[in-house]
Amino acid sequence: MNIDLSKFDRFKVAFQKGDQIFCEYEPGDSFYLIQSGRVQIVKIMGDIEKIVDILHPGEIFGEMAILEEAPRSASAIAIDHVEVLEFNKKNFEILLRGNPQIAMKLLQTFIKRIYDQKRRFMILTLPDPQAKVADVFLMLSETQSAESKSMNEIVLNTNVDDLAHWCGLSTSECKQVINHFVTQRKIEIQNDKLVIKNINDFQRFVNSRRKK
Amino acid sequence: MPQVVKYKAKSIIYFEGDSSDKIYILQSGKVSLISIDIENGQEIREMVKTGEFFGVKSSLGRYPREETADVLTDSVVMVFTVPEFENLIYTNPRINMQMLKVFSNQLRRLHKKVRSLMSIDEQTDAETGLFNIGEYYYKNQKYKPALYAFRRYLTYYPAGSYQGQATEYLIKIEKYPQGGAPASSAQKPQPVKKPAAPAEESRDSKLYYDGLSFFSQEKYEDAINNFRQYISNNPDGEFMVRAVNEIGKSLFILKKYDDCIKHFTGMIQKFPKHPDLPEFLLYLGLSCNAKNDKQKAAGFYKKVITMCEDGSEIKRKAKNALKALGGN
Repeated sequence: MNIDLSKFDRFKVAFQKGDQIFCEYEPGDSFYLIQSGRVQIVKIMGDIEKIVDILHPGEIFGEMAILEEAPRSASAIAIDHVEVLEFNKKNFEILLRGNPQIAMKLLQTFIKRIYDQKRRFMILTLPDPQAKVADVFLMLSETQSAESKSMNEIVLNTNVDDLAHWCGLSTSECKQVINHFVTQRKIEIQNDKLVIKNINDFQRFVNSRRKK
Repeated sequence: MPQVVKYKAKSIIYFEGDSSDKIYILQSGKVSLISIDIENGQEIREMVKTGEFFGVKSSLGRYPREETADVLTDSVVMVFTVPEFENLIYTNPRINMQMLKVFSNQLRRLHKKVRSLMSIDEQTDAETGLFNIGEYYYKNQKYKPALYAFRRYLTYYPAGSYQGQATEYLIKIEKYPQGGAPASSAQKPQPVKKPAAPAEESRDSKLYYDGLSFFSQEKYEDAINNFRQYISNNPDGEFMVRAVNEIGKSLFILKKYDDCIKHFTGMIQKFPKHPDLPEFLLYLGLSCNAKNDKQKAAGFYKKVITMCEDGSEIKRKAKNALKALGGN
């Protein structure tokens, strides 16, 4: 990011590798902009610790705390030595006035999160596990480049755990669906990758399930 | 330059599914946004208020329109490209603030819907949740995050229902010499920001922030009290300028037009080079207008218009107000 942040030095906070920046359910009153290092967002779901996201310099996290104080919905942990700018309600206005580019970034972060959550909601409202998994394929393919979109066959970098997480199924339920698709020769599993033979097929399948 | 575009009644500004980078403000007329409720598939119609933006999310997020913008009566909209919109926001942080509020609200509601579908136990309160996190990490022998969670728990809930258990866990973890992170070198929790006994200055900023929060709760009288107190404690304080402005706005909303005029006139005399001068003048104009002194109102609006740069929110408001008076 080529934004001059030197005037925000007083908001700078550093964390050592492995440090907890905040913990799920902790009351939150600040949000962060990563300057260096990576931050892992994790959430405990049932019995597993799930990595929700890995964030890089220039990205924002904890943004829900800006306008309303509410418990954190996930934990943030420093993967490397991390430097962040920490903002809260109090200095938020200073930030908005002093650095509109960051403010714009924040607005965009919200817009992206809203889109992701809506998409997720659409997946979860599908009536059966097969349609849910298929819709996750579609969602993942939507983020791929336009070039690969024109083709029927696409490759997704994903695994059963991730898929299960997205569609709110248990890993074993999700595995069943995947195996079913594999025996139907609709998909192939290669290490960490999933080859979708005909994404348009899945599109039609999901469409038919969405209409009641 | 943003363009002013007229739409005829029964026309469509854009359709759901369209891709476009245009952002609109409704200047006059009636526009309705038609979308499909993601929960029940039913059609939702929302009226755009005059002065409100639409088409923001899909343009900035670069995804297809999620709604159809249907023109009900002859309407005038101002059309921004994304760079023009960004410029507008850079010069008017308040617009961004308002939008962030709207979006964070939408996101919070979506989170809730998603969680309920994933049958995540909504009953888990924050206190139990925090303790459970600690316990989870403890049981999985990840002592560093466990330590963090239990310490935080005891900081926030010193008399909480899991206080005894959390303390026991903490003692156990601190006994492990090589337990992931020995207690001595473990990350020390950041101090919890407590409202109690703050320093002089931060108590005063609290006055200001509480004032803002009263304002947003529409408790304008309380807001005014807070801002006044803040100003009298900090005549040169960081938020003085803002507080002055907020008092005037509150008076205007309370329809205390005479007080509002007195307030802003006094401020202009005191601070003739105040950065928010155009806004003061705008409110003077609006107050005069409310008192039916149209001539004076028009004078103030015209002054605002000559003072502001093109595209500024204040200028737009002044122009609209002037137009409403029938002048030019």
